[in-house]
Amino acid sequence: MNPLQVDVAGRLASVAVAACLLATLGCSSTTRADSSPYFGKAEPPEGQTLRYISGSEPESLDPQVSTGQPEARIYLALFEGLTEYHPVTGQVIPAIAERWEPNADNTEFIFHLRQNARWSNGDPITARDFVYSLRRGLSPALAARSAYLAYYIKGAQAYNEGKGRAEDVGIEAVDDYTLKITLATPVPYLTGLVAHQFFRLVPQKAIEKYGDAWTRPENIVTCGAFKVKTWRSYDRLIVVRDPLYWDAATVKLDEITFYPVEDSTTMMNLYKAGEVDGVYNHTVPYAWVDELRPLRDYMDKPENAVEYYMLNTKKPPTNDLRVRRAFNMAIDKRALAVYRRVVKPLTAFTPEGIYPGYPQPKGDPFDPQKARELLAEAGYRDAAGNYDPSKFPIDAMEISYNTSESNKQTAEFVQAQWKQNLKLTVPLKNIEWKTFLDSRAKLQYSGASRAGWVGDYMDPYTFLDLFSTETGDNGTGWSPPEYVAMLRAANTQQDPAKRYALLAKAEAFLLAAQPLIPLYTNATDWLKKPYVKGMYANPLTLHAWKFVYIEHDRSKWDRDDPPASTN
Amino acid sequence: MLRFVVRRLLVTVPMVLVVVSLTWGLIRLAPGNFYTGEKPIPPAIEKNLREKYGLDKPWYVQYGKMISNTLHGDFGSSLKYQGQPVNSILKNALPVSATLGLLAYSLALFVGILSGTLAALRQNSRLDYSSMAAAMLGISVPNFVLGPALVLLFSLTWYVLPPALWGGPSHLILPVLTLSGLYMAYIARLARSGMLEVLRSNYIRTARAKGLPERQVLMHHALRGGLLPVVSFSGPALAFLLTGTVVVERIFALPGLGNYFINANLNRDEPLIIGIVAFISIVILIFNLLVDIAYGFIDPRVRY
Repeated sequence: MNPLQVDVAGRLASVAVAACLLATLGCSSTTRADSSPYFGKAEPPEGQTLRYISGSEPESLDPQVSTGQPEARIYLALFEGLTEYHPVTGQVIPAIAERWEPNADNTEFIFHLRQNARWSNGDPITARDFVYSLRRGLSPALAARSAYLAYYIKGAQAYNEGKGRAEDVGIEAVDDYTLKITLATPVPYLTGLVAHQFFRLVPQKAIEKYGDAWTRPENIVTCGAFKVKTWRSYDRLIVVRDPLYWDAATVKLDEITFYPVEDSTTMMNLYKAGEVDGVYNHTVPYAWVDELRPLRDYMDKPENAVEYYMLNTKKPPTNDLRVRRAFNMAIDKRALAVYRRVVKPLTAFTPEGIYPGYPQPKGDPFDPQKARELLAEAGYRDAAGNYDPSKFPIDAMEISYNTSESNKQTAEFVQAQWKQNLKLTVPLKNIEWKTFLDSRAKLQYSGASRAGWVGDYMDPYTFLDLFSTETGDNGTGWSPPEYVAMLRAANTQQDPAKRYALLAKAEAFLLAAQPLIPLYTNATDWLKKPYVKGMYANPLTLHAWKFVYIEHDRSKWDRDDPPASTN
Repeated sequence: MLRFVVRRLLVTVPMVLVVVSLTWGLIRLAPGNFYTGEKPIPPAIEKNLREKYGLDKPWYVQYGKMISNTLHGDFGSSLKYQGQPVNSILKNALPVSATLGLLAYSLALFVGILSGTLAALRQNSRLDYSSMAAAMLGISVPNFVLGPALVLLFSLTWYVLPPALWGGPSHLILPVLTLSGLYMAYIARLARSGMLEVLRSNYIRTARAKGLPERQVLMHHALRGGLLPVVSFSGPALAFLLTGTVVVERIFALPGLGNYFINANLNRDEPLIIGIVAFISIVILIFNLLVDIAYGFIDPRVRY
């Protein structure tokens, strides 16, 4: 090919690329121009079937083995426990347990089970199934990663660590339909905790017969409102209504298809083209939020989850309280929330506005002047006593985060704030996830490390508990005995209002010590079609599927959903 | 010929073992573990996990088990996807990737050879320029641009084709087009340059001189020589396509090997990584062998 030809071909190519791009822009602006209140196609599927994107491929359909949210979303269809999450608030509603009563100091709970609960193979569900399930979940041989959630139960930790016996775990079938759980410490939030996937029932007979393969579609026995029809990895999981389910009369959907899709653009494409009816939370890409927020598809509520930066309290310069406070006060959280679009600003550590009646304390406000004074006080000052950024050991400070576009954006924003308000350019360091966790757990990071926490149950304690030990999820090295004692005092409190007041006191203590920088409360940020009803923007984005249905009558699409009846 | 094939097949075994050993070493070097999740786990639970999966044993025991598994062609169970044997994952994912790859490559071969040959026959014509410009475009536009562009047009503007997922034949069209673009373009350029060279060679002049019709000159004599570059390109290209294409499978959310492979690596799912790596290296070795054998048939100068 002579040079002239290359040139011609090259020019043609660039013209063609430009033409394609123009066509692309043209298309998207035409779709935006139409005045539909919905995003893309809004035509309900035939009958009562729902197509939902549930996130990554499920690790397993064994609720005690898998730990992730993608599986949790599915388990609300397939497995039940003593309690379930309310479809609107995420608080507790009865499931297989009809009612329950705690003893005087929240250390013993009696659960009364309903007598018409059945497995998908027709076997009745009794208190013994709960005893079996918990013992199995805790057995060292199963090596369940969520087993620590049950450590509140007497004897559970010892058994799980191989130091105790299964028979000594504090769960007992008083009779077929009465279950007694004895706790090692007062756990007022037990009923919320036992809705977690780890505490859902697993079928003894199927497990003993098939071993690890019990979750294969041909072997599986379930106890939820739906049962497995087909499961093809990385393709789809189809569940159908189980006529033997105790509350089958409430169930409206005949079938749900769960698609394991991970790429958010692909999800949006599927949603817009009307190939799926709903997606899970945090899936709308930033670039789309402004366009989608005004539409009726967009689901926006604060979540039971927070985003914050851990500070290494064992390593200079962040081992100095004044430095920690200064770095917190130099970030405008409101501006951050506006910048991040889908979040709510956070100055305390627990999420704001999702626990009714919790007197949440406030952390330090945004105050760059005070921040500079604090740093000067900490010794970073010139001869005249004024703050001098050149004295600050900037090499010993960084923001490390696990690689992801959104973490990068937050880190860049915080970096800019510190640069503007403290005249310090803190380097950013992105690290691959597993390496990142390692550096955090071993306190190897310098300065600040990105962290997020999703509550295990709907109670402030699920957040405050992070700092009750130095190991595990703490990551800051901060866990004074006074704080631990304050938490304990709160949990032995009978009166919920008094308990919340004590927890708020502990949170205020935590905020004063500033082992972390609160950033924002996550928002749900997901989409559902207008014809999907009974599916609400709740703080957990976990949907009790038995309340969900497809509304074929267009005139009812825009009305608010009737509140779910949760017997 | 037979001796050549047998010798090459025998070399395959040690080569695969070297590849899986290197992979195994790399997995060891990577920090984190398959059970390191969003929430760090208490040490006692970690100990239970390590015992359950034999990670508490010395490295040579684990390595020996991996090699023995590879030699038996049974890679054990996935660590991440509990209760799913690696072999059954391969068995389910392979048909998806292979269907996609074969269709894409057939399309690429057909369009590529046709346009390349026509371009060569009418060198410097408008047809030549336009098809080569299209080829240039195909080479320069990456599939993560082409795929979404096609989705935007066909799924989100005209609502005629599904934008993703695995299902009926209509689900295949966009991924196959996306996947074949680059290969189509390459093949067109290879076919064109190969044909140009051959059409000027002496044996073609001889064929024409002895009065053969142009059609026969082309089909019987020119194409055979002119397409040699396409054949040598096809071996590795096909091996790559059949064993899964990470980007396209992800964009279109397809249950193929590529998707498994990328997640297996992120999850540090050792048996699954080893299984897929061993499988891919076997496929590549075999396709290279097939290409060498094909040379013997197409090019009369090559003899084994």
